[in-house]
Amino acid sequence: MGGNGWKWLLCAPALVVLVLAASGPLVIVAIYSFLSPGNMGGVTWEFSTEAWFRVFFRRDIFEPDLVTWNTANLAIFWRSVWLSIQTTVICAVLGFPTAWFIATRSPRSRPFWLFLITIPFWTNLLIRTFAIQEMIRNNGTINTVLLWSGLIEQPLQMLFTDFAILLGMAYVFLPLMVLPLYAAMDKMNLSLIEAGYDLYGSRGAVLWHIILPLVKPGFIAGSILVFIPAIGAYVTPRVLGGGQSLMLGNLIALQFGQGRNWPLGSALAMLMLIVVVVALVIYLRTVGRSDGERRV
Amino acid sequence: MAVVNGARVAAEIEIAALGKVFGQGEAAFHALKNINLKIATGEFFTLLGPSGCGKTTLLRVIAGFEQPSTGALAINGRQVAGQGPNKRPVNTVFQSYALFPHMTVAQNIGFGLKMLGKPRSEIDATVAEMLRLVRMEALAERRPSEISGGQQQRVALARALAPRPRVLLLDEPLSALDLKLRKEMQGELKRLQTETGITFVFVTHDQEEALTMSDRIAVMSAGRILQLGSPDEIYNAPVDRFVADFIGETNFLTLPVAGVSGDQAHLDLPGGTSAPARLPAGLAAAPGSSVTAVIRPEQAEIAPAEGADLTAEVESATFFGTDTHLHLRLSDGQPFILRRQNRPGQPPIAPGTRLGLVLAPGALQVLRD
Ligand SMILES: Nc1ncnc2c1ncn2[C@@H]1O[C@H](COP(=O)(O)OP(=O)(O)OP(=O)(O)O)[C@@H](O)[C@H]1O
Ligand SMILES: [Mg+2]
Repeated sequence: MGGNGWKWLLCAPALVVLVLAASGPLVIVAIYSFLSPGNMGGVTWEFSTEAWFRVFFRRDIFEPDLVTWNTANLAIFWRSVWLSIQTTVICAVLGFPTAWFIATRSPRSRPFWLFLITIPFWTNLLIRTFAIQEMIRNNGTINTVLLWSGLIEQPLQMLFTDFAILLGMAYVFLPLMVLPLYAAMDKMNLSLIEAGYDLYGSRGAVLWHIILPLVKPGFIAGSILVFIPAIGAYVTPRVLGGGQSLMLGNLIALQFGQGRNWPLGSALAMLMLIVVVVALVIYLRTVGRSDGERRV
Repeated sequence: MAVVNGARVAAEIEIAALGKVFGQGEAAFHALKNINLKIATGEFFTLLGPSGCGKTTLLRVIAGFEQPSTGALAINGRQVAGQGPNKRPVNTVFQSYALFPHMTVAQNIGFGLKMLGKPRSEIDATVAEMLRLVRMEALAERRPSEISGGQQQRVALARALAPRPRVLLLDEPLSALDLKLRKEMQGELKRLQTETGITFVFVTHDQEEALTMSDRIAVMSAGRILQLGSPDEIYNAPVDRFVADFIGETNFLTLPVAGVSGDQAHLDLPGGTSAPARLPAGLAAAPGSSVTAVIRPEQAEIAPAEGADLTAEVESATFFGTDTHLHLRLSDGQPFILRRQNRPGQPPIAPGTRLGLVLAPGALQVLRD
């Protein structure tokens, strides 16, 4: 047993990092969500469920007993989830052919194509997002070209819409979908596809019955990698969505900034975490279930 | 019509002047060159040749995974140029088996029928029949990762047979198996072929496998078919140096031609006698010229020096269990290997012994060179 004790000691540095870096902040946020807001931000150490109450409900200013659902918060919640789902789907639809293209290049040229995919990571996110803003502004590149070519009379309102947010998020998160999809395709034995054709499968049938089931682990990993940061996205909705199109990340940031309500911000952050975990569990239950290869 | 071992039968596959080039310009590589081939219905046909000679490429052209660069290919009398693999009445047993890892054994076997749109009841019945045929009933619900290599091989076979193709293509299906299982599966394959009556095109680089299983063999080298014939013809009457060398062990003798009559030549042997030898079709050997003739090591026997065809001196002997290989040197200095059956009590032959040899009638075969 002494030997085992030593082995545990070897794990100690990793455990310390895990506890401090991962669980620590989480515990702090969880505790803060049950405290009262301080006057100038921060918290005062008084237990209160007010923050959690205000996540879901609203008191009338004049009649504090009149309680209604906090539809504004719930709408932002739903919007964030919905935009993130859309982003994930867009990334999957665009990422699949992209990854397929790379996986079917000659082995020598694949690193080059993978390198191209990672190029956006080399530039700061904020700068890239402002570049998109520049392109879709009312007097930006796209509208200028369209007006000049006579295709439209009035500039298209693209900036500060959900379209702009989706565009920005899909652009930012696409590599996170492409890379795991590529990894799954790279592992796939190409003669399985030939076997599918050989056994009278059409192109569509081979895609549906053979390729998609085999790259499903890539879809699952990619979806998780896209959905989680998407739901907490801050920069993209801020720059491309403008003031009206808030997402959860902005709402939380607001409570820690102008709102000076740290407990409310903490409660919102905790709720987001819960939503992500629940969404993941549902997703893995439904999509991951028929994944027979993994289950023996 | 194709002529197979003397009989005329319907041609299942007809390949004419077929060539396959990979790459272009400087980098062009001719993987298949002028292939002409007729494979009969119900035949067990084998492509035999060393690694890289184009066996897989030819199989892939027949299956439809590759399109020929030149020439014509007909299956069951119909030209199939431009048709994809899913349109051809041909199924493949892949070298790597290529079983679908996310499906059970039964689902794998039923896949082709499902793609053909067969009703559920028919699929179930055929799958059950196939499972019985390859003796895998007990493992129908397992995944490919949960069965052994030999079992995977049988599933791959059943999956390819289930849609009742006209032709089954097998790319070295036994090469991943150990020797014992391999022998077992050879018998199994032969049994399946006889039972189903399906034309088999079988690829191997194992000459023994080819000789024991095939109705006919095509020996390939560097993209060409060098010789086409029954196992007996390929073994006993090789017309090409490569074929003679590739299959079994053989003796190459350079001998002068004494005379020619029809498809027979008389060759002068080192001892002063002469012996008849078969000429390959179309080869005109001029009397007086030298030709290369081959003779298998078991086609000569030790005899008293008087009246023998050849005399030779023993250089060394290697014991092989059932027989002993005697490395001899003929009177004119050419090497000769003799295979001698081992019998109990037979006195060993010491190096330096002088022996007489008689050649079995019809054992000498002249090469095309
Ligand atoms: N797609 C391709 N592109 C270029 N060259 C190829 C291609 N496929 C095969 N070749 C070449 O064609 C030749 C024949 O290959 P093939 O796979 O038919 O050989 P094989 O007889 O099946 O050999 P083995 O016994 O090793 O399987 C090889 O030299 C190979 O390098
Ligand atoms: Mg091969």
